[in-house]
Amino acid sequence: MDAGLREPSFYFVKAIAILDNDGNRMLAKYYDDSFPTAKEQKEFEKNLFNKTHRANGEIIMFEGLTCVYKSNVDLFFYVVGSSMENELILASCLNAFYDSISEILRKNVEKRALLDNLDAVFLAADELCDGGIVLESDPHQIVQRVAIRNDDIPLGEQTMAKVLQSAKDQIKWSLLK
Amino acid sequence: MLSLKRDKKEEEEGGGNPFYNLEKSAVLQEARTLNDTPIDPRKCGHILTKLLYIINQGENIGQNEATKAFFAMTKLFQSNDPILRRLVYLGIKEMSKIAQDVIIVTSCLMKDMKGKEEFRGPAIRALCSVTDSTMLQSIQRYMDEAIMDKGPAVASAALVSALHLGKGSHEVVKRWVDAANAVATSENPMVEFHALCLLYHVLKNDKIALFKLVSKSRKFRSPYSYCLQIRIAAKLIEREDAGSNSELFDFIESCLRHKSEMVIYEAAQAIVQLKNTTAKDLAPAVSVLQLFCSSPKPTLRFAAVRTLNKVAIKHPAAVTACNLDLENLITDVNRSIATLAITTLLKTGNESSVDR
Repeated sequence: MDAGLREPSFYFVKAIAILDNDGNRMLAKYYDDSFPTAKEQKEFEKNLFNKTHRANGEIIMFEGLTCVYKSNVDLFFYVVGSSMENELILASCLNAFYDSISEILRKNVEKRALLDNLDAVFLAADELCDGGIVLESDPHQIVQRVAIRNDDIPLGEQTMAKVLQSAKDQIKWSLLK
Repeated sequence: MLSLKRDKKEEEEGGGNPFYNLEKSAVLQEARTLNDTPIDPRKCGHILTKLLYIINQGENIGQNEATKAFFAMTKLFQSNDPILRRLVYLGIKEMSKIAQDVIIVTSCLMKDMKGKEEFRGPAIRALCSVTDSTMLQSIQRYMDEAIMDKGPAVASAALVSALHLGKGSHEVVKRWVDAANAVATSENPMVEFHALCLLYHVLKNDKIALFKLVSKSRKFRSPYSYCLQIRIAAKLIEREDAGSNSELFDFIESCLRHKSEMVIYEAAQAIVQLKNTTAKDLAPAVSVLQLFCSSPKPTLRFAAVRTLNKVAIKHPAAVTACNLDLENLITDVNRSIATLAITTLLKTGNESSVDR
């Protein structure tokens, strides 16, 4: 405040991350050079996790950055921005992030499901934010853009349909031969 | 010790986590099988996911290894599997900074950015990650078309990519000003926001143009657009030393009545940060912050009390009206909020409030 207003910026997000209940990284994306090396990044994540995993807040000032977070079962979702950033913008990104992952995992937000759908989770993170600019803040849009892949989400019926389809294909091809 | 713990967990879960203890060398070795024909999309997709995982874990991949994996990956363009294709784009983006001769994928990506709808946005973003300044000329026209595309995913991808390409260089981004202007009134909130970002980036140093950009009294669709607009307006007021009589200040003040909390808060924050504000100018901003103090959302309470804390440094009197609300926050479950409330009260409180 003393230094006057900062230059207007549309790079709202500095980093997003998903950690497990031991503070290990499931996914992390850093959009600027606040933490240039992997070592510094992981240290930041560990410290952030230690500060937040028991506190039932939703927001914390940490190492001069504003971090909003949300947890479920054994996963922790974080969105990090500068200390000057509008906290509500960060919160809107966090919600988009969480809700889209939740939809991809069929409301089953836990580590196992996340690892089983890691490819879709990577794609969702990529659709959420590009280089610090929020690309899409509507979780449905994000899922829709990733959802060309919904045949990959293991769901009883779909898998069954797939098996049938491939069996049909095989028979067809063997007849055509 | 940590790995022991994990092993145990893995046994418990039966089958365990396929991604733990992945060796970089093993994954890179496996990545060579991407060269095999025919392509098995499921298997290759899994290998790519592993590769993305170790990169995301921060593994250091050497230039040679990265280049080998990158070239193996380019073979996958032969497959039309949508999942696989998207993972390849991600891989290209991750590897483009480490591998050599990444330009090799340019023509494949340019084909995709004109191809199937679902590939276009991601293909543009991947393309721009491998493009350098010498190739800008050749992609300019396609980018123009993409920005004005009807699909919001395509337009947003192109606008954001243009911004990344022009990081630090106005000359580069300038090429796309006309296209951005054309979509600045887009029906899609995100496209509108990204177009505004691009216009602002180019016009940053042109005071008159910026003024026009802000004072255009039109309705935006995206709250993000309003936030950026408020930031630009506040900066202009400060630069011009305009004070609260200007049209720009009126714009910011009108945003205090917006329906989105995000915009209201951005406006309040801007007003309290301006230098030459009188107590009268501050009052409406402080009263919305006061309202936010009793919100059920911790983020909103945090934002409000943090801003009030800043106001209290310069204008303690303006915050006194909120003392009661601040006192309620002392016992907030979020410790950051409680701490901020206490430090704010120390600046504004007096003897009478100590008793309560």
